[in-house]
Amino acid sequence: MSVPAVATGRERQQSPLERYVNILGPVAMIVAIGVVMAIFEPRFFRVTNIRIILQDAAIYMVLGMAMTIVITGAGIDLSIGSIAALSAIVMAIFIKDLNVAVYLALIAALGVGVLCGLVNGLIITVLRVPDLITTLSTDLMFRGLALVMAAGAVLQRFPEPIPMIGRGRILNDAIPVPIIIGVVVLLIGVFIYRYTPLGRYAIAIGGNRESAMLSGINVRRNKVYHYMLMGAAAGLAGIMLTGRLNAVQATVAEGFALHTIAAVVVGGTVLFGGRGTMLGTLVGVVLLSMVTNALVILRLAFFWQLVAAGLIIVMSVAFYSYVERRGKGGSDMT
Amino acid sequence: MVSERAGPALLEMRGISKHFGGLQALNGVDLTLHAGELLAIVGDNGAGKSTLIKILTGVYAASEGAITMDGQPVSIPNRRASIELGIDAVYQNLALVDYLTAPENVYLGNELKRSFLGIPVLDNGAMREKAARLLKDRLGISLGNIDQHAFFLSGGQRQAVAIGRALIQETVRILILDEPTAALGPEETRRMLEVVQRLKGKEMGLIMISHQLEDVFELSDRIMVLRNGRLAGVRRTADTSRQEVLGLIVGSIRDGEAEAGAGSAVAS
Repeated sequence: MSVPAVATGRERQQSPLERYVNILGPVAMIVAIGVVMAIFEPRFFRVTNIRIILQDAAIYMVLGMAMTIVITGAGIDLSIGSIAALSAIVMAIFIKDLNVAVYLALIAALGVGVLCGLVNGLIITVLRVPDLITTLSTDLMFRGLALVMAAGAVLQRFPEPIPMIGRGRILNDAIPVPIIIGVVVLLIGVFIYRYTPLGRYAIAIGGNRESAMLSGINVRRNKVYHYMLMGAAAGLAGIMLTGRLNAVQATVAEGFALHTIAAVVVGGTVLFGGRGTMLGTLVGVVLLSMVTNALVILRLAFFWQLVAAGLIIVMSVAFYSYVERRGKGGSDMT
Repeated sequence: MVSERAGPALLEMRGISKHFGGLQALNGVDLTLHAGELLAIVGDNGAGKSTLIKILTGVYAASEGAITMDGQPVSIPNRRASIELGIDAVYQNLALVDYLTAPENVYLGNELKRSFLGIPVLDNGAMREKAARLLKDRLGISLGNIDQHAFFLSGGQRQAVAIGRALIQETVRILILDEPTAALGPEETRRMLEVVQRLKGKEMGLIMISHQLEDVFELSDRIMVLRNGRLAGVRRTADTSRQEVLGLIVGSIRDGEAEAGAGSAVAS
């Protein structure tokens, strides 16, 4: 939706705050959930529970960081759950069946992720298959490979540092390692988004592909990088998931792609590209993890959690539409 | 003034033809551009203006014809090559990237970098400052809040940022403006004409495509008229009238070949 240079009432100034108005919606929802839970179920605020929420959110933060860049660049990746599973299974087999040193196995897990991302990127840019169709298909392929390799087994009891990565704690047992990983990945994401050509070109490619090309940006190469970064993040998520239970099977991380995409979109990144926010993604992953947790604590059936998650996505996107319409004066929005 | 120049022209295109299959878009067109002048190209829709420009910017390859710059033959097989020769264009409908700021748009693809812990990172501060200065000093445009996204800029501001994007490459010698005022209101048009006026002179050659004859007469040094892919005539703006130019555009006045010859004779 590139906008031609028409002078129609755009002279209104953008306030610095306006850039962050988008995350106000989900932040308000987080507060609202907090208030409701304070009334109905104070156990929600126990340190152990907050830790559970953030630990869950951390894995989605890792995925969400890369997904924010992929989506900003007008892409989408539905295969990340399967990439995480395949990475984890390869790592597990290396350690359990092949007796490979654990650090090599960790590198292999990330390598498998990057490789899967490269495959996605090449299919999209060289074979020119749309992002959605590509990753829908590779989702099946990667999952299938993981199932074949694991052959139905549950692999468990891994050496350090895998359990440490997934569920360890540092600083007097206070801070879970996954949360630290999540924060570090968030900072890396902010850095990429603001201070590297990769982030800036993602905005350009997603916002105005033709303009990006005429500026001499190699659009296809950048798209491939986006998917490789996404693959690496999925590999890391696979390691974290394996460590969390100290066990892994090929069906791990099913449904993670849609959850991650939902979190990114709830955070204010536009699904069609060109506009994204890392801090929004942080808010999105925390919000979704909070909701899931709150419904568990309130002992609602799992199926209601799905209903609630869907509702939140609809409400967030409706909120953005509203802000957008109001911002434009309401007239030239189609 | 222009005709008194000695030495080879900044740009010469000779006998340029382009056909797309059976369609003859351009037929033996000549173009001469001197440093410091503004050449307007006018003509009806389908006259071949855009095709000529796209050949110059490396988007299309000419079927026939030769191009020289400073008297040296050049070939422009692609967009990169034209940028390296110092040819850049600001397109009518080439919108900016909406959710980048003006400086980010100006430097898109040519980002300034600095070293942070040994890794090159974007130097947003320097780009911000230099872009603001460029827009203000060379184009006379100030944006108020430089950090707002391009989405919130007015049409004229957007157009100025697009021009700034071409100027930031300091090697730019030929700047093509495709309908710079087409989408602007009267007030913005006025400001844009001032911007173009500021660009004139010095070393750069300007080519402006426009349907607005008023703008053409106000700004250009010479007017080149295309009709059905052929050169219908070249006139010095000071020596012609709107009637004559209109006549050339619609074909009621015909003197294409003779005038083209005169044009190049004047140049050499």
